[in-house]
Amino acid sequence: MLYNIISKLDEKLHFSTVSAHCDIPCKIYDPIVAQLAVLTIIRLVDLLDDLKEKPSLTLDDQAQFLRLVTQKEEHGLKVKTEINVIWGDYIKTAQLTQFPELHELTHNIMLAASKTKQHINKEASLALLVLVNRFAEIFWATKQVTTFTATCPYPPAQTLVYPKLSV
Amino acid sequence: MFGFHFCKVTGISMSPRIPEDSYIFIVPWLKILPLKEGSLLKVFHPKYGAIVKSLAKIDRNGLFWLKGFHKSSLPIERLGPVGKGQIQGKVLWVFPPK
Repeated sequence: MLYNIISKLDEKLHFSTVSAHCDIPCKIYDPIVAQLAVLTIIRLVDLLDDLKEKPSLTLDDQAQFLRLVTQKEEHGLKVKTEINVIWGDYIKTAQLTQFPELHELTHNIMLAASKTKQHINKEASLALLVLVNRFAEIFWATKQVTTFTATCPYPPAQTLVYPKLSV
Repeated sequence: MFGFHFCKVTGISMSPRIPEDSYIFIVPWLKILPLKEGSLLKVFHPKYGAIVKSLAKIDRNGLFWLKGFHKSSLPIERLGPVGKGQIQGKVLWVFPPK
């Protein structure tokens, strides 16, 4: 009854609100964002390598160079963030028991992502893809989802681990 | 104006003690009295704005550490400590929805 009275008062007086702030786990995790970020890095490295071939860079080429390097930096960070979130929020004891390599794998992804940021190196970015694909494979295995590998139908046309989701 | 006011609670971090959509009766001047751990406080947080939390601890520097009751509540270390000036009142009564 008291609640109803206060509620009626609220309708007239419009009480302010206070937040009982939460950090609710949304449970929406998917390594595909990290995988796509690695593909982007590989594509950017390819484009940067094209620029390397040129004897000299025009102003447009220089602007393109800056843009590609900036994007490579951003996507390197994205890989780290996405993998960190899955590792920190989703991976628990059960998954670690099932796949003890997860800590080391995650750490190796961090190192490999840094390397792709530091250099314009195709091998380094491909090595990162191998690690992130393995992470994706493990992620889906912990969800009892089988995976398959396929070449992505767009540049840089690299092999990606995909979940086999049934309808 | 009256030395007290009502606020409506959004969010579930204080449930079950303060369920979402509850009204709370707040007395601002009660904050001048010694506050005990477990007191329910309305606080102006620099990041989260006006929030209601439970007083977890007063540290040796006189800073107030806050916590929620629900498992999804922001952890104490992410909320961080607040000074007494940020406390806007003490919750005296809770009126939960039916």
